[in-house]
Formats: sequence, structure tokens, C-alpha cells
Amino acid sequence: MLKLTGISKGFAGVQALSGINFDVRAGEIHALVGENGAGKSTTIKIIAGALQPDAGEIAFDGKVVSWSGPADAKAAGIHVIYQEFVLFPHLTVAENIFLGHERRGRFGLIDHDRTRRDAADLLQRLGVAIDPDKIVSELTVADQQMVEISKALVHKVKLLILDEPTAVISGREADLLFARLAALKAEGVAIVYVSHRLEEIFQIADRVTVFKDGAHVATTDIGDVNRERLISLMVGRDLKDIFPPKRGTGGGKVTLKAENVSVAGRVRNASLELRAGEITALAGMVGAGRTEFAMAIFGGLPASSGTVWIDGEQVGMLSPAQSIRRGMGFVTEDRKGQGLAMLLDVAANVTAADLDAVTRRGVIDRRRENQIAREEIEKYRIACRGPSTPVATMSGGNQQKVIVARWARTSRKVLVLDEPTRGVDVGAKTEIYRIMRQLADDGIALLMISSELPEVVGMADRVVVMREGVVSGELAGAAINEAAIMRLATQHPSAAGSHP
Amino acid sequence: MSTIAYPRLRARVGRNRGVVVVIGLLVVLLVFGAFLSDRFRTPTNLLNIVEQSTGLALVSLGQTLTILTGGIDLSVGSMISLLSTLTSGLIAGNAAMILPVAVGVVLLGMVIGGLNGLLVITLRIHPLIVTLGMGAVLQGVVLLYSLGPAGKVPPGFTFVAYGKLFGIPIGAIVVLVLFALVAGFLRYARLGRYIYAVGDDDEGAKLMGLPRARVILFVYAFSGVCCALTALYLVARFGVGQPYTGLNYTLASITPVVVGGTMLTGGKGGVLGTLLGVYLISLLNNVLNFMDVSTHYQLIAQGLIVIAAVSIYVEKKKRI
Repeated sequence: MLKLTGISKGFAGVQALSGINFDVRAGEIHALVGENGAGKSTTIKIIAGALQPDAGEIAFDGKVVSWSGPADAKAAGIHVIYQEFVLFPHLTVAENIFLGHERRGRFGLIDHDRTRRDAADLLQRLGVAIDPDKIVSELTVADQQMVEISKALVHKVKLLILDEPTAVISGREADLLFARLAALKAEGVAIVYVSHRLEEIFQIADRVTVFKDGAHVATTDIGDVNRERLISLMVGRDLKDIFPPKRGTGGGKVTLKAENVSVAGRVRNASLELRAGEITALAGMVGAGRTEFAMAIFGGLPASSGTVWIDGEQVGMLSPAQSIRRGMGFVTEDRKGQGLAMLLDVAANVTAADLDAVTRRGVIDRRRENQIAREEIEKYRIACRGPSTPVATMSGGNQQKVIVARWARTSRKVLVLDEPTRGVDVGAKTEIYRIMRQLADDGIALLMISSELPEVVGMADRVVVMREGVVSGELAGAAINEAAIMRLATQHPSAAGSHP
Repeated sequence: MSTIAYPRLRARVGRNRGVVVVIGLLVVLLVFGAFLSDRFRTPTNLLNIVEQSTGLALVSLGQTLTILTGGIDLSVGSMISLLSTLTSGLIAGNAAMILPVAVGVVLLGMVIGGLNGLLVITLRIHPLIVTLGMGAVLQGVVLLYSLGPAGKVPPGFTFVAYGKLFGIPIGAIVVLVLFALVAGFLRYARLGRYIYAVGDDDEGAKLMGLPRARVILFVYAFSGVCCALTALYLVARFGVGQPYTGLNYTLASITPVVVGGTMLTGGKGGVLGTLLGVYLISLLNNVLNFMDVSTHYQLIAQGLIVIAAVSIYVEKKKRI
């Protein structure tokens, strides 16, 4: 269906792709894996016509083609679901789904009723309950992802490309997606599936291609590799252990205690304790209120009730500025929208929350700032040319490290990380886990919000599980396993009993 | 928490907060004016308010579309000056020239506006810069053409500004019809939908292969046409065009747009809010006239309203 031969592409001196070959057959799911910076996104954009290759040949449907823009590729039957959604936040769900394929009635005018009806149909076929009239910016990230996926089902496509489609959705929604993909595959659609979740790839893919540093490493039938082999192909070395060793619970004093925190419509009387030197995970399904609970503790969401103690001192509910002054930090899930100043450089981003340290008599000392940035780059092994590299040009994993570095500078006591490894490859994940453990060892109490069970089990010293806005249970030490977490995350809240 | 009841009505109101706020302000001012003076309540005065707003309404209509795409047109003032001076200069009192000149001026407005759009697309420079530069160029051109009022129009031409149909000023009717057409266009035409999409997420529009160039070309050309209509109206009203007629319209045309709830960053808003914003400003000036205060206060009041209105629309951040 699609065949790339010898494709190369460079950006301002950096060679993103050097002569890669890649092919996808009709009716197969072809997984594309590799670390950040391996060239997956660039390849996708070239296939989609959003970038033009410097050299090489693209053949689609038996013909050599040359896209002048995304519209050409789209017209030929290629649909891409980008990791950074292409959703228009102020349009409704239905308007987004049919954008570019408006449902029209008399005189070629847009038929709003039909748009709404067809959107409702489509979402129902996908198996999700999302109101087509809702404004997209008001949806949860998981629902936005499902809307993004439903856009691919509007019209017949020959080649469907999905970039990290399951990064933000729960297991049930992922199953809905996989069922849909299987149906498309049976219809003869060629599917390129990019994911960092190797379990998924073994579950659904027929073949897998590995990229590393802009070059093609291997293409093989999925049955001919195992997980370990795939990882070592991706990172170019053996990864014995992704998770750093745990230190074991106990001993750490309670740094932060939150009691009976409620957020209107989202969280009901939730409580937790965070201990110095420990990583506590906040687990549960997407929409269980985990982010809202943590955000309310931090002060970023108005709580209708609740009390917070820091180091035994009752401080009530703080504002974000007060929380930061008291040594708390919050690494948000959406690093592009809420975390990083994308156009600024590493140095400016690292010191953004701690300008006092680099300011002398009200003026920012660039030398001092660069020096701090260099220290952090080394400490966190951030891959960039130097302190003045714009973060927009860096890979997701390295951007994440920049954010963590920034918050770690000011968070002496508590650091909350919301989905810290979302959309990050295995190598960068390992790095981020190492950094988290190191911060915990330095005596900081970490709260990690995560939808990935292996991550929770691998990292957490303690797990607080939420379901439908309430804390449904807590696990510690050896009692932490995937089955126990799932039980608490999905059991009926009335059976869970109240949390002390 | 995946589903929260969300009635369609609430969604509508939520999307058109600007319209709701402006209607509220209009009602407050109307009640206030009614208490202020008996003469305020007369139909003549209310028609006056509507009639006086014609010029601003026309230019703001075009401005609304450029702002919806996330752009802006800062050349409108100079364009109005140029086109109005050309209108009276070329008609020069000759009734037979009215139609050809009027048609020519509208086409010229479309061409100049289209040129704005073309520069925005090809040079990839922010519209603010492109239209600011274009405005300076046009102002220079009109001053080369004439340093003062140029030519005149035959008496019949004033009908455009002062004529009435069923007792309603012609200008007001033209405004209502145009706004209704554009409102329908934004809601029911594909290009209208793409105007919102480009303003909402330009990068996304590119990735989806939406006809972005067509959208930008269209909104600036349309803004040019609106300027031409404004110019014709102003010439009819004053009997002559002169090189500084449009001076105040550049910034004035933005006020009703933002007061009406259209986001300066684009992607959200509409022309109904703009029309109400125009009437609000006209009504405000009228009420202040009745209060017998200096016209300078009108500017102060306008400025305060803009800041107050926009502060209401600022999207409340949901997190941090």
C-alpha cells in the first residue's frame, strides 16, 4: 500500500532521517517503534504530506507520489491521528469530527442536525458516550482522544496512521480502539501504529519496524521478536531493569496530609498522606478525579472542603503561589500547554519557577542562569546542544526532564507528577524513573499520578486508588500488584468503605 | 465523571457570552437613558442612534472576520480615507459617474484587501504588520492624490445616508441585511466554518489540509469591501470625501468586535456580538450627549467599556 525508499530529511543542520525504508501492506497493522528522536514523527509527517523529504521516493497504492501538502495525502486516502491532537478547542465535538467533510444539505449549506446525528452515530459505533454538542476544550483528555480517533472513521481511508493513540486513554477505551482497528484491518485498510506501549504492539501488530537515530534498524514479523529483543533494538543496549530499586516503606515522616478534600462534581472527601522519601502513586481510571484531587491539594482547583497539613502544621487550602512558597511543585500532564514556554530556551525554562536564584538587583544574570542550566542538564542527562537550545526543538522525553528539573529546584518537600511518562519512550522513561527515585532519596515526598499499571507497580512505595471521585483504597509495599489496584479502581464505591 | 448533563441551550449561551453581556449593557443604558430624558425615548432619537452607527457597523463587520481568523486589519482607516476621497473626486458632481465609480470603489477595496491577504499568506508575516504597513502606504497614496476634500457628489447621492425606507434609514437596513447574511455564512457555509478553524488552531488547520489560504484571502478582501461600503456611506453623509475621513476607524472598528465577545486570538465569536457592540457604543455616545457632558468623556467611557467587557470574557483557566 505504502512504500518509502531512501527517505532523508534534515532540519537546520540536524539529520532527522537518513535514507530510511519503510513499507505497509493493505490489511496489516504495522507497528513503528523507536526512542524519542528516532524519526517516527518526521516519517509520519512526510507520509502525511506535512513535510517534504529532501531525498527518496514515496510510493502509495502502486504509484510514485509527491505530496505538495496534507490536502494531497488526505485526498489520496491517508488519515493521521497525531499525538498532539488536531482538535479545534472552541468548536463542538460534532463540528470537529466533520471538519473538512461537513455534512451538507440544501444549497450546499451545512446541515447542523445531520452533523450532530452522524456524530452521535459515529461515537456510538466507537462505543463511547460523548455529547456531540459539547465544546471540545471542555472534554477530558481521554475523551478528546476518542473524538480524534472518531475523525478517522468519517470516511473511507486506505492508510491510517496512529501516533501514540493510547497514551491518555484507559484500558476499556483502548479495547474499543483495538476492536475498531481490527475491523478496519479486515476491510483491507493499512494501519501504521506508533506506540511506546510494547504490550499493545504484541497484542495487535502484525509486523514491527524499529527506528533509531533517524535510521531503519529492523523490520520483522511480530512473532519473531520478544519484548526484551525489541527494547534492546530500540535503545541499542540491554535494559535489564527499567525501574530503579525501591527503598521500602516505613521510617519517613508524614510531609503532607490532606483530609476530606472535595471538588464540586469531581472529588468527594478524599484524603491521603505523603511521606518524605517515598513515592506515592495516585492510581485509578481516567476520570476518577485523580488530577483534580491533586490539583485541589496544590491549590490549582477550588476545593469546596478540605484541610491540608504540611509538616504537621495545619495550613488549610492554599493557593498555588502559597504552595510553591511552602516547597510544593506540580508537573502537569500537558507539558506543552501548561508547563513549558516552548519558544524559550532550556535555561529560561529551568529557572522559570526560581528566578530569585538568578536575579541580581532585579536583573536576570544570564551567566548564572546558563551555569545553573548546565548543572541541571548534566544532572538529569537532558539531551540538548546547551542551555540556549529552544525547548520546542527537543524531544518529548527531554522536555519532560526540563520540567522536572525546574520543579525540583523549588520543591523542597512535595512534588506532584501527573502522568510523568506520557508519550515518552522507554529510554527516557527509565531516566525519569531514576530522577524520581533520586528526588525521593533526597527526602522529597513524591506523588505520581499514573494510568499505567506497570509504572505504578514498578515505582510506587504506596498506592492510593481512586474511583469516581472517592478514594477506594490504599496499598503499600508488597501488597502492591496490578490485580489489587484494578480491583480497587473498578469496584463499586459503596463496597469500598470510607477511607480514614 | 465522563458524562455531565450539558443542555444545548447552556452550550449556546456559553459560546455567546459576549452577546448576553452586551444585551445586558444595552438594556441598562436604555433604561438609564429613558429616566434621563423624555426626548431620549422618542423614536426619532432611537432611529438616530441606529443611523449614526452605520459607518462603524460596516467597517466592524469586515474586522470581525479578520479577527476570527486570528488576524487583524489595521489598514481600514487609510483604506476608507482613500476610497472616500476617490469616490467624491472621481464623481466630481457628475450624476452619471455615480454607478461606475461606486462599483469601481468596491472592486478596488476588494483588490487592496485581497493584496493584504496575499501578503499575509506569501510573506508569512503577521497580519498586524502587513496591514499596518499597507495602511501607511494607502495614507501616503491618498495624500498624493489630494491634500484636502476632493470633488463633490450630486445631491441625489446623499439618499444613501439620509434616505429612508418605511421610515427606517437606508444605511441601517443595509447593515442589518449584511450582518444577517454574514451571520448565516459563518454558520452554514463551509468557508465560514473554516474561518473559525483557522483562528482556533492555525497549525491544526494546515495539518488537516483545510483551505487556509482561501480563508485568509477571503477575510481580508471582504474587509476591503466593507471599507469601500463605509467610504461610500461617509461620502453620502458628508457630501465629500477627504484624506483623513477614516482616521479614527482603525481602532474604533476593533472596539465593537471585542466588546461583542469575539476573541482577539481568533476562533471564537461572531457578527451578532459585533452588531450589538456597535449599537452599544452608539447608544453610549447618545446617552452621554443627553447628559450634556463633554464629548471627551465618550472616549473615556468607550475605553472603560472595552476593558470591562473583555475582562468578563477572559476564559477562566481550569487548572493552575
